[in-house]
Amino acid sequence: MRPELERLQRIEDHLLHQPAADWYVQELVDADLAADTDLQRQLYQGLYVAGQQQLRRELAVIHQQLYGTKRPSRIAQCKALLSALRYQLRCYFFLAKR
Amino acid sequence: MPDLALQEALLTNRERVLTQLYQQTFPLVRRHVLRHSGSSQDAQDIFHDALVIFYEKAVHGSLTLTAAPSTYLVSICRNLWHRELARRSRQPSTTLEEEHTDFAESAPADSETAPTTSQAELVLDYVENLGAKCKSLLVSFYYFKEPLEQIAATHHYSSVRSATVQKFKCLERLRTAVRKVAATVFFYENHAA
Repeated sequence: MRPELERLQRIEDHLLHQPAADWYVQELVDADLAADTDLQRQLYQGLYVAGQQQLRRELAVIHQQLYGTKRPSRIAQCKALLSALRYQLRCYFFLAKR
Repeated sequence: MPDLALQEALLTNRERVLTQLYQQTFPLVRRHVLRHSGSSQDAQDIFHDALVIFYEKAVHGSLTLTAAPSTYLVSICRNLWHRELARRSRQPSTTLEEEHTDFAESAPADSETAPTTSQAELVLDYVENLGAKCKSLLVSFYYFKEPLEQIAATHHYSSVRSATVQKFKCLERLRTAVRKVAATVFFYENHAA
């Protein structure tokens, strides 16, 4: 890996895996280390928010798949048609009687 | 399902496990919320909050189940809904959506990665502009905690090593973009003062 990437990895190890006991000393030696560490911490916070948003989107998709509005089945469509036809016939006979 | 097996299943097949949990649990949560002055939308929002908390605890290894996952989830939802009802009685004009930020902040997470400031929102804009592959790689690793072997396979990298290098390249791109805007903000703040 390039030295710049190795530096990112070193800061990541300190922030997320194994905090270095002598980090304070390293910050004294390396003038940019504190600012770089702070910035990288912010990147992880942004990625946390992005991940949480993605998880919520995935949950919304699951909800839609399980409980979303479905097209009525053919049986339900036939039942509705028959019911409408029955109603029309009742109206017809009622009017015919009069 | 034991905690470790659940963690493993969530890491390797998130969609299937979450769908199963959803099917088993959501009807119970909806019934509870509807019986206690809530709507179906309230139930959905509360349930998603609970699933986010559940997922984060499970993949961070801080979940200790003493009952079935669905029982645990229903319990979180009851507490969240109880809290929401109490909040609504204090502030009747606000809605559940306004509470979401609080839920997100109260969700358990690594102290280093849990968002603390609006700067996370600033970074978020740059995450969205990274490109689909980089964004997916970073979010899969840092939020979803997927193993690098799995990430290498799903993102078509030849090895874990090349996935690792790519991850740091993507992180570097993000850092460069954020650093530029941070420097601009700093410049304008100092010149405006």
